[in-house]
Amino acid sequence: MHIVVCLKQIIDPEIPPHVFQIDPIKKKQVRGRQVLLISDFDAIALEVALQLKEKVDGKVTAITIGTAEAVEALHTALAMGADETVLISDPIFEETDSFGKAHILAAALHKLGEFDGVLCGRQAGDVELGLVGPFLAEMMNLPCVTLASNMEPEDGKMRFRRPIEGGYEILETTTPFLATITNDESNVARYASVRGIRKAMRTEIPVWSAADLALNPAEIGSETALIEMAKLFIPEREMRCEFIAGESGPEKAKQLAQRLQALKLL
Amino acid sequence: MTNILTFCTATAQELPRASLEVLAAGRQLENKLGNGNIQAVLLGPDVDGHARSLMQHGADEVFVASHPRLQDYEADVILGTLEKVVPQLKPDVVLFPHDALSGGNVAPRLAYRLGTGIVTDCVGFEIEGDTIRWLRPVYGGKAMAYMVASGPVQLATIRSRAFEPLPPDPSRQGAVHTLEIDVDSISSPVSLVERTQKEMEGISLDQAQIIVSGGRGMEDKEGFSVLEHLAQVLGAAVGGSRPAADLGWVPHSQLVGQTGKIVAPNLYIAVAISGAPQHMAGAGSSKTIVAINKDEDAPIFKVAHIGVVDEWQNIIPAFTAACEEMLDN
Repeated sequence: MHIVVCLKQIIDPEIPPHVFQIDPIKKKQVRGRQVLLISDFDAIALEVALQLKEKVDGKVTAITIGTAEAVEALHTALAMGADETVLISDPIFEETDSFGKAHILAAALHKLGEFDGVLCGRQAGDVELGLVGPFLAEMMNLPCVTLASNMEPEDGKMRFRRPIEGGYEILETTTPFLATITNDESNVARYASVRGIRKAMRTEIPVWSAADLALNPAEIGSETALIEMAKLFIPEREMRCEFIAGESGPEKAKQLAQRLQALKLL
Repeated sequence: MTNILTFCTATAQELPRASLEVLAAGRQLENKLGNGNIQAVLLGPDVDGHARSLMQHGADEVFVASHPRLQDYEADVILGTLEKVVPQLKPDVVLFPHDALSGGNVAPRLAYRLGTGIVTDCVGFEIEGDTIRWLRPVYGGKAMAYMVASGPVQLATIRSRAFEPLPPDPSRQGAVHTLEIDVDSISSPVSLVERTQKEMEGISLDQAQIIVSGGRGMEDKEGFSVLEHLAQVLGAAVGGSRPAADLGWVPHSQLVGQTGKIVAPNLYIAVAISGAPQHMAGAGSSKTIVAINKDEDAPIFKVAHIGVVDEWQNIIPAFTAACEEMLDN
């Protein structure tokens, strides 16, 4: 069983708002001195693939589109337990939209050859459009399961568990498939140990360019983009917290209740 | 004329609020563009009873496709149906609720099949010339972006609670049409084996007007039972931050944040929650945020409207009692 996981490396989303900066011209977050990480749901997708590998004999390949720095995300993926990784990197990939990204990933999957399934996180932790997974499924004409939290092979098919309001669904499809992964109790992503990452750093990671993938720049550049960010801004927050004062806890509690009632919120 | 198609989900019994919110978004877009027509599309067996209500809430025309296969809202069947509906109705804009069915699956795949642009999770829009610029949060709500979709038709998914349903106007009337769609010919490579749904105990996070949420500072599961009592008194739902969910104090289904539910109640009471970006991505759009935290420097006080600095143990039981007394009178 060969599962390919598509990862995106992003700037640590947990940085506090006061150090969060954007470049309004490039319409991107400013990297600054922030740490780069595997986007949350993508790490969870990798976790789901690794859990499957532990149950059945299999191989997990992690791929990412990014600059040279994205190799760190692949070191982490190897340390978590991925068997192989590929960095897909070319300056012309930088201005591409979600359609272009799906196009690039489809070419990479084609080059990888045989696989039984592709996993993508439900959305990236930066722009959060959540489009690449479903686009990729359509482009490759793969059955598409979305927002699943884990999977299990069943009679040559794959069964997915999908959390829904107040319960869950079991969905089934043939292989190869594409699934987008969401989180639940069962798939908290494992840590990559420092030792594991150090070991992974000695692994040669293949880098595929647009030429390696026989991609036509006209098909993936910004000129053909159908989705564009026109403006990026940090909303003004003219806000001051109104603190409830009081001598004791119970007094503050009572005042809070009265304040909320006066505001007709209770 | 601008045709705006809104995709409305419904069961025989229920027309969800999200369907009315999307209609309200459509109406607002029509007001800005002028000279538009709102086509509400309703799929499923026995849902035509909602047509009148959709009209009163802003639709100009209602189109119903009724077929037993539409009953379970399986993504592939809905997608295949809409793929046939769109060329028939020729809309300029298609609006969906940003939910698991549409936002995560049907809308992006339909955009791909139509070869057209899409913007997901929108909370507003502005018109510049004849371009619609869709407003959506990015970077976990730390920034906002205006995005533009190009192509033959624009698709957008609308974040829950971003638009208030319009009050029903009984004078609004319009035509109800039946869509002739060959649903039987739609293939579904993904099959639904089982769907298990329990009646929710209490109020769901999506529906709640008030949410009481706890964080790591609640210390244990016992702490959450104190919050549950408060929630009961207020008729509120209980939520939790990621550490609280990862520690098993609240189920993952109640997790509020970037990796959980995005909520926007009238009142959000954050108890012993530091206000990490991951959490605020889910709770930041609440109309009023009340924070109770012992640490006066906690980031939550930067986003809260009302704050109380104290141990939650000193506040919540007394606050619950005060509310109980108030609501009894």
